[in-house]
Amino acid sequence: MTQQFLRDDDLMPFVEGLMNRYPVIAPVAKRTRFVFEKLIAADDLRLDYDTTVLPPKKVFFPSRQDLIHFDQQGFSACIEPQAQVLMGVHPHDIKGIAMSDRFYSDRHFDNNYMAYRQVTYIIGSSVQQHYKYAFFGSINADKPLSGHDLFMTKIDGGYVIEVVSDKGAELLACGSFSEASPAQIAEAEAVNAAAMENCPQKLNGGSAEIREKVRAAYESPLWDEMSEDCFSCGSCNIVCPTCYCFDVQDEWNVDGASGCRFRLWDACLTSEFSEVTGPGGTENFRDKRAERYRHRYMRKAAYLNDQLGGPACTGCGRCSGACTADIANPVNVINKVLEQ
Amino acid sequence: MSCKNSKEKTDPGIFMPKAAEVVNAQMVTPTEKHFTLRLNNGDMFDYQPGQIIEAGRFGFGEIPLGLSSSPVNAKTFDIVVRNIGKVSQALCELNTGDTMTVRGPFGNGFPVDELKGKDILIIAGGIGLCPVRSMIQYILQHRGEFGRFTLFFGARTPQDLLFEEDLEQWRASTDVHYFETVDRPDKAWQGNVGVITTLFPQAAGIGPDTHVIICGPPVMYKFVIAELDKLKVPRGHVFVDLERRMKCGVGKCGHCQINDKYVCLDGPVFRFSDIENLEEAI
Repeated sequence: MTQQFLRDDDLMPFVEGLMNRYPVIAPVAKRTRFVFEKLIAADDLRLDYDTTVLPPKKVFFPSRQDLIHFDQQGFSACIEPQAQVLMGVHPHDIKGIAMSDRFYSDRHFDNNYMAYRQVTYIIGSSVQQHYKYAFFGSINADKPLSGHDLFMTKIDGGYVIEVVSDKGAELLACGSFSEASPAQIAEAEAVNAAAMENCPQKLNGGSAEIREKVRAAYESPLWDEMSEDCFSCGSCNIVCPTCYCFDVQDEWNVDGASGCRFRLWDACLTSEFSEVTGPGGTENFRDKRAERYRHRYMRKAAYLNDQLGGPACTGCGRCSGACTADIANPVNVINKVLEQ
Repeated sequence: MSCKNSKEKTDPGIFMPKAAEVVNAQMVTPTEKHFTLRLNNGDMFDYQPGQIIEAGRFGFGEIPLGLSSSPVNAKTFDIVVRNIGKVSQALCELNTGDTMTVRGPFGNGFPVDELKGKDILIIAGGIGLCPVRSMIQYILQHRGEFGRFTLFFGARTPQDLLFEEDLEQWRASTDVHYFETVDRPDKAWQGNVGVITTLFPQAAGIGPDTHVIICGPPVMYKFVIAELDKLKVPRGHVFVDLERRMKCGVGKCGHCQINDKYVCLDGPVFRFSDIENLEEAI
């Protein structure tokens, strides 16, 4: 596929061109942080963001999603995807989306996710600023990017735009581009390599070693020690690009005759997550904080490896920043396990 | 990822249930209701003994339940609901002629082909009888295809004995060596008293060639397994039917995970030797 060049001055017209055709969801500033949100004005776009509070999975897997509407007459699905553009996705978040795509399409095809995913154009963008907890340079680092349509890398004077798919090529009609020069392409490659190199945090082992050692540490007292301050709040789950568990609930409309079945994000760190109701009350199969804490790391580092061919972690560092007790940083946890 | 003419346009998703009419409903204990269902669209409901469904009522939700009838008569199928929570209560309010919803069947049932020709012991505790009833009925319907068939059933009290008609039949039948016990008898009870493991000395012919199915409360498993070990039944011949909370039934929602396994995809029936080292299993 081709490599194009977009001059700095042509960025806003391109974004406006996209917005004329589609809803565009992109990183914007919100108080001291950034969030993925539908652009209202093109110049709200902040491609210089470090990270967003929530990962872009929310575009296809919103925190609350209607599944079925029901009334006295019957029930119907509510899958109504509209074409949209998801712009400014960092490379590690593109990998996270690719992992989610596997989770939702393997074995049983979950169209409540996939239908929205498949009508979305994804435009990746290079990391211009590192989040202080980021370690994507040392996890799944050699995993190639897939599933996106365009990728834009900030270089001197503009952006090198890699056209990754036919869908991506369609979007070029929204702006004015010139062919990127070999020097510009080389500069873009160097920028992306440097972003990987310069991650502020680093794991001290490769995927295979992490998988083996985390699994072997199942009985380790480390989980008790590390989870001692855990509030079981599930913040680490909620901000994780590869967490995809959910609850399903029903609710009535005010008419008392119709309503909705919907799913909402759930979190395996919360104490209710693995409860079962029995005659003597509830039974909890992961009753202790340490068991729930361990489950999350087992899942990310070992259990999901078979399906993904690598750990279910992007190195975004969101969990580290979201944890109230400051105990969720995978770099601290995994590096400790690796020392054992 | 193109969406042109693809199935994504019409696929209603994994949460779309089918409507099923209640063709019979009966309280079988003070807390359990036995339903016989038939799909409203007239389709056969195709499943294996031991598989599960999500049964639901809109406005309340869905719960996972084992199918408790043999698939031989697949026009109708049975479930038993224990009235214990919000959704199960809403289901138990339904009666003949009402509609509930079903999704499924999900998961792996009992390994019928592997069990054929073998001596079978089924051990059911309490409402653990409901899901294994699908296999009991299957064996009795195909009696010649199985070896010696022994059935243990234990309940807390005589009031908790489910499927009274079935029990009467099994007590009288020569096709099954049936043994039962209650933990706490009433005055009328003349049978065995004690936990389910007290039935082992009464039954003959349980040994290394026996294949065993167990379903009951979690506390029951370790005691039963200990007895089977004494009788030299290999753990690879033992199948357990596990239950968890499930929201999707298809390996997405995460609630039913046991370490790296999903009860809805890899179970609910597991070979005991495959899960005995999984701490979260039982």
